[in-house]
Amino acid sequence: MLSTLLASDVVAPFSSPKIDYHALAPELVLAGVIVAVLLADLFLEESKKWVLSTIAGFGLLAAFIPIVTLAVSGHRARSMFGGAYVVDTYSLLVKGIFLLAGYVVVLLSQNYLEEGDYYQGEYYFLLLSSILGMVMMGSSRDLVTIFVSLEFLSIPAYMLAAWRKRDLKSNEAGTKYYLLGVFASAVMLYGMSLLYGDTGTTILKGIGAKLQNGSMSPVAVLGIVFVIIGFAFKVSAVPFHNWAPDTYQGAPTPITAFLSVASKAAGFVALINLIYVAFPHGGDVFQPMIGVMAASTMTLGNVMALRQTNIVRMLAYSSISQGGFILMPLAVAGGKSSGNALTAIVTYLAVYAATNLGLFAVIIAVSRKTRSGEVSSWGGLFSYAPLLGVLATAFLASLAGIPPLGGWVAKFGAFRAVITSGTNWGYALAIVGAVNSVIAFGYYGSLMREIWMKPVPDGDTAPIRTPSSLNAALMICGGATLALGVVPGIILRFSDIIKL
Amino acid sequence: MSQLLRSYLTVAMFGAIGVLLAALLLAISALVRPNRPNADKSKVYESGVDPIGDGWSQSQIRYYVFALLFVIFDVETVFIFPWATQLERYAGFGLLEMGIFVFVLLLGLVYAWRKGVLRWV
Repeated sequence: MLSTLLASDVVAPFSSPKIDYHALAPELVLAGVIVAVLLADLFLEESKKWVLSTIAGFGLLAAFIPIVTLAVSGHRARSMFGGAYVVDTYSLLVKGIFLLAGYVVVLLSQNYLEEGDYYQGEYYFLLLSSILGMVMMGSSRDLVTIFVSLEFLSIPAYMLAAWRKRDLKSNEAGTKYYLLGVFASAVMLYGMSLLYGDTGTTILKGIGAKLQNGSMSPVAVLGIVFVIIGFAFKVSAVPFHNWAPDTYQGAPTPITAFLSVASKAAGFVALINLIYVAFPHGGDVFQPMIGVMAASTMTLGNVMALRQTNIVRMLAYSSISQGGFILMPLAVAGGKSSGNALTAIVTYLAVYAATNLGLFAVIIAVSRKTRSGEVSSWGGLFSYAPLLGVLATAFLASLAGIPPLGGWVAKFGAFRAVITSGTNWGYALAIVGAVNSVIAFGYYGSLMREIWMKPVPDGDTAPIRTPSSLNAALMICGGATLALGVVPGIILRFSDIIKL
Repeated sequence: MSQLLRSYLTVAMFGAIGVLLAALLLAISALVRPNRPNADKSKVYESGVDPIGDGWSQSQIRYYVFALLFVIFDVETVFIFPWATQLERYAGFGLLEMGIFVFVLLLGLVYAWRKGVLRWV
């Protein structure tokens, strides 16, 4: 093919690719905001840097507007660049989750940065870049586009994890995250090259048409396994989870919230794109692998979380185990409960984002007073900060899956997906998941006991003053957690809309 | 079920061959080579010149910034040259695209300028 290309003198006339600017509007708005933040940082005096977080926050909300207009415009799917970039209802939904999660992270960061004397301009610039990468991931339907989006969202995150540069723990967080992230990228790229070599295309739909259960070449099997391993690092699935606790503990708390929610969700979105579009007929290969990963992820995450005395580390392991629950429906994707599984994962991601961000908001608020990350420092929280105590309890209960909070709807969907698959794998997974839900309550419950029943550790019962941005974040997350649980209808409607 | 196991057998074999190959190469060279250590052999090798100082010598941090700036312009050149040869074909669209690309890279230069890294103190 190359020789014919080189031999031909006639150059085909160039026609510029058709670009649907409406479909690309969220990305374009975000890109504009990123440039604005960078320039504003360079030409503002130190005392006016607070403007940057305002620009970043409003920018994220502005990028949300075209998502709404696209959602009501009635087009089912807009495909660009030869099918490499698709804007459909599913991608709009996950983009919405990323943008709102990003907005909450900006709210969490505001006072944390101003009081901590960190580099504000670069912080918001990198945060927005990472969010732009995630938004692109929602639409990526091509191996190369997926890889570019993944690096776009990861590289700023490596730097953000090491943001408290005078703190050794934060340096360790950034280094570990970077080294393992790059290693995972390499494994994944190798898998992608094998997939391309076997199928001759990088477009996911084209790969999906070539790969069929039973007639798959060994090369394709290797490719699928390596690509999934690459993203297993990103979603910190066991046995690729080792970086998560250290990184979460060392990174600045708002970034920990960002990594454990948005970055993890982006990994799942990539896995969904790959599994539903590229490997829908490859269930024989990925189902057992993801099933084993899901079961070991939730079990190991829970068992390790039980032993932790530091709240952020406990939440790190809790987020690993929650990742196992999100993987659970993916293990039956491709079978007859494929549609259920997709709805379950997207629902779980939305609920988990609201709940976990809320819990981190409470942690940031409480540590403003206690300056400590130990579980025991939460003793008697309710007696001096009743609102924070109630909110923390609600978020913990939602993570544990107690009705009427959002986490219950999410868990219900995940279990429904594996049970309706009607396979022995599905039933086995459901049992492991049920046992783990009980174990998880062990450590969520112990935190609740600290809040409600233990005495205040040093007798200091001065109320906690929270800045308005933190209050706004708490209200958004609390409202979303409650609303998703009380009115599950708004989520169950997704099952009609989301198709891949 | 046997099909399933066969799929994963590929992966296991692939991994085993990878480990075996590395082990084999190291083992063969360990068997074949003579083992006569002396002080000259364990010295740091640097272009055949005798090393001065130890391996942890420090170099000026400013070179790092210049290296980064060099990358910005290097990447720019790599993309501009092939584009320039086809400029007429790509016409207005190509001009616009390259304009955006150069603008984004210029932002990096503006950043470096405002942060004062272009000055050699």
